[in-house]
Amino acid sequence: MESIDKKCTPLKREYDECFNKWYSEKFLDGKDTPSCTLVFQTYQKCLRQALKDQGLTKMIDDARPAIGSVFTDNDNQ
Amino acid sequence: MRLFEAAHVFKHDWETVSLANWRKYPNEQTPHVRHVEILNQDVDPATGVLRTERLIMVRQNVPLLVRKIFGGDTSYVLEYSEVDPQKRTLVMQSQNMTYSNLLSVGEYITYTPDPENPKHTLFTQSAQLKASGALCRFANKIEDICWNRFQDNAHIGKLGLEQVVTKILAERQALMMSMTQTASG
Repeated sequence: MESIDKKCTPLKREYDECFNKWYSEKFLDGKDTPSCTLVFQTYQKCLRQALKDQGLTKMIDDARPAIGSVFTDNDNQ
Repeated sequence: MRLFEAAHVFKHDWETVSLANWRKYPNEQTPHVRHVEILNQDVDPATGVLRTERLIMVRQNVPLLVRKIFGGDTSYVLEYSEVDPQKRTLVMQSQNMTYSNLLSVGEYITYTPDPENPKHTLFTQSAQLKASGALCRFANKIEDICWNRFQDNAHIGKLGLEQVVTKILAERQALMMSMTQTASG
């Protein structure tokens, strides 16, 4: 599956792979120490720029209260 | 306003089904889900709960009336979820962002061990669809169309998850076989 910005696709896929492995082999076994932090940060840097370029940032922030999200715009910056 | 409620038992353990949730897209049954991005994800150090925020982009054919009123066929949805590995619960809440001034679609989903059989997983889904008064005489018709489409998508969504679970089980089987062969070789 492509990212909303093609540039971010390989980074997204790398993170998805890392996350799925961590989730099934560590997290579900009670070992929740993150092991995909660097990969996540690289993916996020690209994604944040894409969200900004596509004008989606405000829309996302406005929708957070409706779904009880704990995150804010400043997370992962 | 339209309300939607459904429940389904997946005959697989909660761990496998919750993993399938993360690996759900893309799948053949739900081509309308075009992009899924992780916006935020962390483990709450106080509770061990995995918290995730996702952006989902959906595009699918819609009746002409909907296309004319909404001005498009693409929408963005925001989803927040929490996975508690101790309690074995996955809870998800989502809301459409696009066209939210015309139609509000809020969905709440849970995956928990089936109380009748803890080796199986109970899936519950509830949703509320409400058209804005600004749609005037079209409000009811729009709600009807979107509610029907929501039902269709809910059905293929379940089929899609089952397919992903099957894939995960097949991978595990293949891995076990290759480990057996390696051990005996």
